[in-house]
Amino acid sequence: MTEPASAELTVETIEEKLQKFLESRTKQTWDPDADLFKLGVVSSLFAMELVVFVESTFGVFVEGPDLVLDNFRTVRSMSALVMRLRPGDPGA
Amino acid sequence: MIPVLDELATLLTETAADAAEGWDLAGEIPVDVLRGLGAKGVLCAEVRPEFGGLGLSGLDNGRLAAHANSLCGSLRSVMTSQGMAAWTIQRFGTRALREEYLSRLTGGALAAVAFSEADAGSDLSAMTTEVRRDGDDMIVDGVKTWITAAAYADLVVVFGRHEGGGAVAVVPVTAPGVRVEPVPSPMGCRAAGHSTVVLDSVRVPPQNVLAVPGQSLTLLTSIALTYGRLSVAWGCVGILRACLAAAAGHARTREQFGTPLARHQLVARHLTDLYAAERIATQMCEHASRAWDGRSPGLVMDAILAKYVAAGNAARGAASAVQVLASAGARDGHVVARAYRDAKLMEIIEGSTEICQLTLAEHALAVAS
Repeated sequence: MTEPASAELTVETIEEKLQKFLESRTKQTWDPDADLFKLGVVSSLFAMELVVFVESTFGVFVEGPDLVLDNFRTVRSMSALVMRLRPGDPGA
Repeated sequence: MIPVLDELATLLTETAADAAEGWDLAGEIPVDVLRGLGAKGVLCAEVRPEFGGLGLSGLDNGRLAAHANSLCGSLRSVMTSQGMAAWTIQRFGTRALREEYLSRLTGGALAAVAFSEADAGSDLSAMTTEVRRDGDDMIVDGVKTWITAAAYADLVVVFGRHEGGGAVAVVPVTAPGVRVEPVPSPMGCRAAGHSTVVLDSVRVPPQNVLAVPGQSLTLLTSIALTYGRLSVAWGCVGILRACLAAAAGHARTREQFGTPLARHQLVARHLTDLYAAERIATQMCEHASRAWDGRSPGLVMDAILAKYVAAGNAARGAASAVQVLASAGARDGHVVARAYRDAKLMEIIEGSTEICQLTLAEHALAVAS
């Protein structure tokens, strides 16, 4: 199920995959800007699952100062993180 | 086993097989033994080669932990701490911090990881240890209890509160204000160096603190503890293997009522239960470690499930082994006596059985359709 991050990865496709994963695990839909942790639906243990999901699905390593809860707070913050970390990104 | 794992297992056997009983009775592993193993990378064998590590997979590192624990639960406990310290630094550390400290942890320096406090055991969110800025330095203040391997440690990886969230500080024990006080007479893993670590306004350079705005203390502890849970679960597999070997060996040779114990059906049932316990624990651990190596999101719950099942199995299995050995195993230092004491602690540390049950129940509620 791992797929290499590629130029075809867009914010839209990343967010779609994230929303699908979240829906399968929480049985509810999530707006890109909704705070996953604010309502207590998502636990800190689930946050770690999200970290691993993001890494394995988009082929990135989230380490060091990037491995911070705020980067996983919303679908949008996760897609921004992936766009920043993916291989080939000029800022990486 | 691949050759490198074989070699490491042989090294552990040569180091600990004959010495473990004495270490348990003395309540101490000679620190030079630990430094020697550390310098060969065995204590945190999953560290990547780019940082001086052996680069074992999670699965092989788990198998190594099981082997270590089949010889000595205290040694395995030290490995768990060293591995968890390295994993925490690898995951959360900056590149510079990783390069400096991972090379030390694979070069003979020893590390402990400090979560628990007097009023923060299962509820780590209640911890009060504070990491705060003071001019150009960071200050660490708090008292950590039951810190495995701290009696041997050169570095303590301390989890604490920081600006409304969480932070991790890498604290050298030589820093002014650090006091390490060994727990007198621990019930199990007696030579694992369990200690209270007092941090009295300890000043550390800011680069030693992994502090990012918006970091969650529970995310920090969850990620660090997942390594620890896998390592403890594998350790329990080792307990079960040692118990099975001791019980089977005894039941084969010891005769009562004119027949070997193994031919007495009630004894045979103990052997069956031990065998089943070992097989089940092994397969749970293999499954979780494969999820870890394959970076599957399921690894978080798989690790908790493996730890829960393996610790319960080890506690029951060790009790069965003592029952089969009876007077032959009923003295301190004997492999089954050590297993019995150590296994009970495995139901307590790295998430007690009850905390695992609550977490797994929540998970079941979330995923069961």
